[in-house]
Amino acid sequence: MSTSPLPGDASNDPSDDQTGRFVVQPNGRVRPLSPHLQIWRWHVTMFASILNRMTGGALSVGAVLVFVWLMALAFGPEAYATFTGWMGSPLGLLVWFGLTLALCMHLTGGVRHLIWDAGRGLSPKAADALSWASMIGGVVIAVAFWAFLFSSGRVGL
Amino acid sequence: MSRHTKTFVKGVKVSERHGAGEWTAERLSSAILVPLTLWGLWSGFALSGGGYDGALAWFRSPVNAVLLAVTLLVSVWHMQMGLKVIVDDYIHKPGSRRALLGLIGLLCVLLAAAGVFFIVRLALGSAPLPAGFGI
Repeated sequence: MSTSPLPGDASNDPSDDQTGRFVVQPNGRVRPLSPHLQIWRWHVTMFASILNRMTGGALSVGAVLVFVWLMALAFGPEAYATFTGWMGSPLGLLVWFGLTLALCMHLTGGVRHLIWDAGRGLSPKAADALSWASMIGGVVIAVAFWAFLFSSGRVGL
Repeated sequence: MSRHTKTFVKGVKVSERHGAGEWTAERLSSAILVPLTLWGLWSGFALSGGGYDGALAWFRSPVNAVLLAVTLLVSVWHMQMGLKVIVDDYIHKPGSRRALLGLIGLLCVLLAAAGVFFIVRLALGSAPLPAGFGI
């Protein structure tokens, strides 16, 4: 049984608030509290947006790994052989596959956000379609990339 | 300049301080990175399994070296802005936020500076490090 009143029944007067919908900001102003993640209905645009932030964070690790690749190369053949030895192991390949997936999804997700920022595709239907398209597109590019890598014999387990 | 100057574009009030510039920089770096990322995937494919000699041969092409340096610098710029937004959103203590942002800035400067240093050496065909650095 719900203890808090329905949103439509709640008072919008902060001084009369018994629902915890208002919060006192550090500067002393009373502001409505944003609904937490658990309260939002799950939606694909929300998921795609969260995914874009998560893949972006993962790619920071990827940037460090690419930097280590450059460093190994600059330090000569022995350092480079050590590096490719680690990265060519099954675990290393899994990490690089994950980074490729993050890169491709961040790429398609970024294009989606650029389309939205241009003011296009913002109707609920178009926004949902763009979210699905960007996520599926990212996975397809990443999987195709690794399929080509393995089929060309450049990479093997 | 008054801090309360209001600027309007097409009847919409725009940021009074640096918000609009940050927004534009995020989009500009994204747009530049779209073609560079596709080129990066292509390059990753070309470099895979090529070993040390293959990678050195790849760096002998000035186009590759310059594009890689540009990709690195724009990526680090984009990454710094992205991580700053995450920290701004989730870290509420001003001291912790400043410290984290400082660390992120330091990491980004290090990645950019040392990365370009390595790329220049590889493009010029310099001897493997630590040549001449006395280690």
